[in-house]
Amino acid sequence: MTKDPGSQSIWGSLKARLQWLDRTLVGRMIAYSAVWFIVSFVVTAIGLTALFQKTALTRFEQSVGQMADNLYSDTEILSDNRLAPPALFDTRVGRIDSGLYWQIYEGEGTPKSNLRSQSLWDRDISFSALDLARARKEAGRPVYFNSIGPRSERVRAGIIYSVIENRSFYFVVAEDREVMDKEVARFGAFSSVALFVISIGALLAIWGQVRLGLKPLFSLTEGIEALRNGQASRLHGQYPIEIMPVADQINALMDHTQHSLERHRTHVGNLAHALKTPLSVLMGLSERMAYDQDPRLNELREQVDKQVVSMKSQIDHHLRRARIAARSSNLGELTDLDSLLDEMSIMMEQIHHQKGIVIDWRCEEGLHFHGEKQDLMEIVGNLLENAAIWCRHKVKINASLEPNQILSSLILIIEDDGPGLSEDRYEDVLKRGLRLDESRPGSGLGLSIVDELVRAYQGYINLDRSALGGLKVSVKLPGQVVKPPSEIH
Amino acid sequence: MRILLAEDNKDLARTLKLALQDAGYVVDHADDGEEAHFLGETEPYDCIILDLGLPVMDGVTILEKWRKEGKKTPVLILTARGGWSDKVTGFDAGADDYLTKPFHTEELLARLRALVRRAAGHVQPLLLCGGVRLDPRAARASVNGEPLRLTSLEYRLLHYMIMHQDRVISRTELVEHLYDQDFDRDSNTIEVFMGRLRKKIGSDRVETVRGLGYRLKALPEESALND
Repeated sequence: MTKDPGSQSIWGSLKARLQWLDRTLVGRMIAYSAVWFIVSFVVTAIGLTALFQKTALTRFEQSVGQMADNLYSDTEILSDNRLAPPALFDTRVGRIDSGLYWQIYEGEGTPKSNLRSQSLWDRDISFSALDLARARKEAGRPVYFNSIGPRSERVRAGIIYSVIENRSFYFVVAEDREVMDKEVARFGAFSSVALFVISIGALLAIWGQVRLGLKPLFSLTEGIEALRNGQASRLHGQYPIEIMPVADQINALMDHTQHSLERHRTHVGNLAHALKTPLSVLMGLSERMAYDQDPRLNELREQVDKQVVSMKSQIDHHLRRARIAARSSNLGELTDLDSLLDEMSIMMEQIHHQKGIVIDWRCEEGLHFHGEKQDLMEIVGNLLENAAIWCRHKVKINASLEPNQILSSLILIIEDDGPGLSEDRYEDVLKRGLRLDESRPGSGLGLSIVDELVRAYQGYINLDRSALGGLKVSVKLPGQVVKPPSEIH
Repeated sequence: MRILLAEDNKDLARTLKLALQDAGYVVDHADDGEEAHFLGETEPYDCIILDLGLPVMDGVTILEKWRKEGKKTPVLILTARGGWSDKVTGFDAGADDYLTKPFHTEELLARLRALVRRAAGHVQPLLLCGGVRLDPRAARASVNGEPLRLTSLEYRLLHYMIMHQDRVISRTELVEHLYDQDFDRDSNTIEVFMGRLRKKIGSDRVETVRGLGYRLKALPEESALND
């Protein structure tokens, strides 16, 4: 038999919610205090109501008992053996169905009604044999019991048993208890509501207290998250002395990690660069080996050349990867885009001076890159180099700010007047190290490196055809650009 | 053709020296920074191959010293570091070309030929306007002896203006000489380039004649000196 899936999922979600409550500190504290509040307030409400009822009942019985006592002490037996009831103060006894009744029974075991109040007319106040037995035991004093009145209302009755002149009498007085019951019910309802409101308020207060009290803990969590996202390099801010050691330890850990990362980066860099000079020697030596009759020597020469080139590109690739991975999130660094584009354009024109290329760079005034300068140089350098290699003469680069309420993005657009690419090859050129045209210099198109870097900045790269005829590369770097107020003219 | 080879790795230096000699160059070798600096300062080389990681004094420092002393010898930088920021540092210090290790000897020889050819181009007179000097042969400019780093568009602009100094040149005329036919000519192009040029050579040197155009002129104290 399988359970009804609907009920299972409801049960499941309830269970999940309970588990959530158990997992959060706030949830646990609220859940435990809620259990305590519910139990203690239910008990309190019941207890208070019972106490109130007892008090009210005692008072009620006192008045009923008083009247029964009057009836018992002031009833006279006339000479003709008839009974003469006293004149009772309460006028209700003379009004039919008024809610206050009295009756006198005579006889021991099964007494018969002798006299009754006018309010009863010809009806009886019923009682049980047990009530009678109790009354006989307490002869002369009132005994109380519940009964049903003539209007079938609930009444409280007092009964006094007495033997007068060898005749057994039961003096019964009953009064409608509806008003009292209503009052007790009202009291119960009121106290329940009051306690409910108090417990809700108390739970809210606990929630607020916990939220406020644990606020430094939450901000610590946020701080650590910022560390992980690379938005900050240290935990800043003041924490209470209880958790300050945690923050200090985390900072120390971050510093340690940063230092060892930088140390490793330096080591990797040194190793890579130290390898390159011996590689140059190998390459130079193999090139100096004259072509020989021996085909094995020629093969050796070719192989050395091929392997050295491959080693170089491997070293460069992994060096770059290590750099991206160990990117320190130095948020303080601001790079002036104007001067960076100027420097790089001049350099690129100089490198390709034989071709006579013209780089037209444009930049929105006052733009600053908010990240590592080296990364931006790699991005711009590789894109410009790629454009310079493929263009006929002209390269355009444009930097602008794409405003956004949350994160303004830096948009770089690089275009050239070369042959361009067909659309179906756009995806290929972003792949690592793939060279589309082996006859042109440069390690691949350099675009895969840019793609990797741009991704590290959560940005993206887009290829299109330029109005100049060649390739148009657009790069978007979210949140990496600022315009300091002093720079805006 | 005489060449200075500054490289501290003995094996590489020996191999390169042989290759360069085979190509017909006369090669001097320096294996530390101080020696390289001294030789470059005193001997009339046609080209210098400079390794950046030299002992005693590093390549960038040597290069900056030479340029400060007014040495114009073309310099090709040789280095293991291939990042763009390293390259920018090299070019900023005054390098003419850049080659990362390991490299093919053929590539090095080709770059050397290009550098020497450029340096030995047709002799053209220097163009002067007050403290601004423009050397059309090397495509270089300087202000009061300080070398200027100009993009080719800025260089073209300065070249045209220095050829027609003390004359008011209209925007249209400048645009026509700055850009080819098919380059887009948005309206504020000239303002942008003029702004950059002014920043580099000093804003007083370019006068805006309202409604007519721009005029390049020597500063008052300089023109007095020229007279």
